[in-house]
Amino acid sequence: MPYKARTAAFTFLAIGALSLTACGGDDAGASDGAANGFNLVSEGTLTVCSDIPYVPFEYEENGEYTGFDMELVKEIAAGLDLELAVQDAGFEGIASGTVLAAGQCDLEASAITITPEREEAMGFADPYYDSLQSLLVPAGSDIKSIDDLEGKKLGVQGNTTGESYARENAPGAEIVAFPSDGELFPAIQSGNVDAVLQDLPVNIGHTEDGDFTIAEEYETDESYGFAMDKDNTELISAVNEQLTELRDNGKYQEIYDKYFTE
Amino acid sequence: MKPSTRRRLFRGVLYAVFVIALVAVVLAADWEAIRENFFDAEVAREAFPTIITVAVKNTIIYTVIAFAGGLLLGLLLALMKLSPVAPYRWAATAYIELFRGLPALLVIFGFAFAVPIAFDWRPPGGSAGAGLLALIIVSGAYIAETIRAGIQAVPSGQAEAARSLGMGPAWTMISVTLPQAFRIITPPLTNELVILIKDTSLLFIAGMALQDRELTTFARDSVSQTANATPLVLAALMYLIITLPLTQLVAKLERHNQRGR
Repeated sequence: MPYKARTAAFTFLAIGALSLTACGGDDAGASDGAANGFNLVSEGTLTVCSDIPYVPFEYEENGEYTGFDMELVKEIAAGLDLELAVQDAGFEGIASGTVLAAGQCDLEASAITITPEREEAMGFADPYYDSLQSLLVPAGSDIKSIDDLEGKKLGVQGNTTGESYARENAPGAEIVAFPSDGELFPAIQSGNVDAVLQDLPVNIGHTEDGDFTIAEEYETDESYGFAMDKDNTELISAVNEQLTELRDNGKYQEIYDKYFTE
Repeated sequence: MKPSTRRRLFRGVLYAVFVIALVAVVLAADWEAIRENFFDAEVAREAFPTIITVAVKNTIIYTVIAFAGGLLLGLLLALMKLSPVAPYRWAATAYIELFRGLPALLVIFGFAFAVPIAFDWRPPGGSAGAGLLALIIVSGAYIAETIRAGIQAVPSGQAEAARSLGMGPAWTMISVTLPQAFRIITPPLTNELVILIKDTSLLFIAGMALQDRELTTFARDSVSQTANATPLVLAALMYLIITLPLTQLVAKLERHNQRGR
């Protein structure tokens, strides 16, 4: 009996391994979007990866993904005559380009700051948003500017423009990084940090009930871009064409005003 | 053909199929893409020596603190659960059921954010302190059950013999029952320790200063900065470098214990 069991196990393993290779062979030629001339993960569909939620760039509302990034890619997909499919993915996979390399998505739209390192790993479309940073403090706090942070605890979202800006411009502060705004805002509510340096639109959302206020805004000279596979140059230029058109026909401004006017 | 020959031949064919399948998998993989995305030597070099001086060091420190705390708390809870005084038993049972039933991530979130908001009290040691307190509280619940099982596995004759020699109940527990119980539960306690090593990666939710980062947070940060997934692979290797010798050590200890019986 043990002998038989082992034979069965081997056969099973062998068959399993064989079928694995069979699958491996298949997806190598990921369906050519022959009609449009660019390689798509799934034919006729623009598959977009995003780390959701990140209000107001991407979040869920009434069972649908919406936000500044999401509305833009919706327009881009429509302009390219493609269906839109959005996949929620962790930011590590997005920032490293792994989801693109693994063939999970065609495009990453996740408030990604364009950096030289990322440009080496991925192809970026033209910048679509200039990231303004801001300092959020409790109403009535004696922190009036970034210079008042000496010895204070400053919360940032890890691996964002906000974090690098804070490290460069608030050297005296104790900087604490949180995984997302979902922990960052509770951190200032609970008094774990004295101030929060975060993207302006995200912080504006936290000033609504009057307990918190924005002390300062900062220009960072950095912008967000949609990332794609470096080799998929046709798709990159097609997305760029769409972005230009959206700016020309006023649609971009319309979406911008919807999410970024106070 | 003799049945034994046939059997050997059949087995040979099965081995061959296995090897061919293995070779096919190896050939089919896009090694260049894998190397580029997960094994970039330059990215890996950049991670040193910080990955050791900060990330590995903190992972070990956090594990030791959480395990030591969890062990003390677990011992206390186990003794409470075996107590002849009913309210102690109830309290220990309620505690264990609560913190075994909650994901560690949520308990950490609770201690880092909900407790300060509710009571205006912050655990000492900042974010890492709050996270560690939560890990101690969670691991204490698991370890309590392990210790209780160990105590109950010690034959009752041992305690009876000790008592008949005139030892008090407390001294019997400390000098006779507990040493035998811990010998019995060495393997499940090792399990708890290994789980705890990996659970320190959940501390990120409480917020991290640069010098407080453990392995996973460090790796995630590096991935984002280098736009390459190599740091995650490196972190995985580091976890194995920590856990494998540890489990070997415990296995050795266990063999030693067996001989000592």
